Amino acid sequence: MRLRNTSVDGPEGSQLFEDTSGPAAGSQTGYSNQPAGPQAAGFPAQSILSDPMSNLAMAYGSSLASQGREMVDKNLDRFIPISKLKYYFAVDTLYVGKKLGLLVFPYMHENWEVCYQQDTPVAPRFDVNAPDLYIPAMGFITYVLVAGLALGTQNKFSPELLGVQASSALVWLIMEVLAVLLSLYLVTVNTDLTTIDLLAFSGYKYVGMIIGVVAGLLFGRLAYYLSLLWCCVAIFVFMIRTLRLKLLSEAAAEGRLVRGTRNQLRMYLTMSIAAAQPIFMYWLTYHLIR
Amino acid sequence: MSGFDNFNTDFYQSSYSVDDQSQAGYGYGNAENPYNKPYGQYDYSQPVGYASPGVMQPQQQYTGQIFQPTQTYTPSPSQSLYTSSFDDEPPLLEELGINFDHIWQKTLTVLHPMKVADGSIMNETDLAGPMVFCLAFGATLLLSGKIQFGYVYGISAIGCLGMYCLLNLMSMTGVSFGCVASVLGYCLLPMILLSSFGVLLSLQGMMGIILTAAIIGWCSLSASKIFISALAMDGQQLLVAYPCALLYGVFALISVF
Repeated sequence: MRLRNTSVDGPEGSQLFEDTSGPAAGSQTGYSNQPAGPQAAGFPAQSILSDPMSNLAMAYGSSLASQGREMVDKNLDRFIPISKLKYYFAVDTLYVGKKLGLLVFPYMHENWEVCYQQDTPVAPRFDVNAPDLYIPAMGFITYVLVAGLALGTQNKFSPELLGVQASSALVWLIMEVLAVLLSLYLVTVNTDLTTIDLLAFSGYKYVGMIIGVVAGLLFGRLAYYLSLLWCCVAIFVFMIRTLRLKLLSEAAAEGRLVRGTRNQLRMYLTMSIAAAQPIFMYWLTYHLIR
Repeated sequence: MSGFDNFNTDFYQSSYSVDDQSQAGYGYGNAENPYNKPYGQYDYSQPVGYASPGVMQPQQQYTGQIFQPTQTYTPSPSQSLYTSSFDDEPPLLEELGINFDHIWQKTLTVLHPMKVADGSIMNETDLAGPMVFCLAFGATLLLSGKIQFGYVYGISAIGCLGMYCLLNLMSMTGVSFGCVASVLGYCLLPMILLSSFGVLLSLQGMMGIILTAAIIGWCSLSASKIFISALAMDGQQLLVAYPCALLYGVFALISVF
């Protein structure tokens, strides 16, 4: 107690004649904006805070930190377009329910056109045909966890294996998107499909995979094969009907037969993209059900 | 600052009277001396010195500002600097920002998943409660022979990061990482119940599976309810509850297997 009094008497004496409370308080707000923990240790640090040099250092440090954060935000926005991503997550429960139903049973749905509103596509919330990223993201994470569960029932589980599953699935996804992008470029299709759209479409197959694996875990191998078959056909039809509108020319999209190599090429492209889905679905799940 | 001024003028008065009595002609220099030895030399300055900060210090400014800890701390260091009195510091818990009443309120909100939550309870980020709950969860796991503090921390860190990204993308207003960590930590409370059950009876039977599913549902419903009310998201409660359920499912996996 004595020590504390004498230690603050010095600056107190100087405060009598020069009021440095303004900048001192200012830099101390910079310091006190930190989490509550360090403040409790501010007791012996009072003498450090009163030193103008360390006040300056504190203010400089906090301004550096805020500058750093601004830089991260700015650069992050350049690499990952956050505002565009937000569009894909503007979903609600009703949309997700309808979309999941569509992924499993696309045969009754008739209008596959995406609604536009003055040149920009409407948010997924308002249009069940618009692609979103919530379902693919959740599907991916659920797939990794279900795979861990399945490997656990085979007594092959370890946390590193979760990481291996996750990274291999991610790599296959990235390769598939790159392959589709390359083929779109080679066929010179004039389409408004963005990379994120392709990512979304490729991510829809995880729903079928999860259904297959869960059925296999609950009811055995036969259930796995049956449900996987059903989901493969469903996703095939879903992809064809969705991509048809985006890749093929207007006339062919309406179902009329249009001759011409360009259209044929585009049709083959659509069919191969759609056919790749079941292949991946089987490839990524067969080792989980033994 | 007003306390400091009064303190100041008291000292000025006392030092001038000493000047009149004993030494003449020192002026400034002598005015400094009594200030440097406030409690040693002059009897009348000592009680004045103690009394005036006691009277002048507006104690109530600390209690009113428990909700904004940053504002609480701005006056306190400068005040303590100028008045240098041990009695005028805020209590340790207030300085640390641990408010037991709030912690209890938030705990009650978690324990009643059906009750509508108040959106303003998450205004201050409080990591003390979640820390306690995480440690308690690890301790109950320890009681059943699983030394897995590392997994608990790792999974909670990854889960908080994932929820932070997802909520920032899904909501109109952003959310801070501390808020996400705080909510997820509070809603870990029912999981502690599950792991303490696991100490007594095995959770791998049918009853254990039902209990696990119920507790995962409880945790994720409370977490999504608090997120929805704090971020004003409509029609998305189940969408927020699902990733929370995945996260708590992983915790449940740790406690069951």
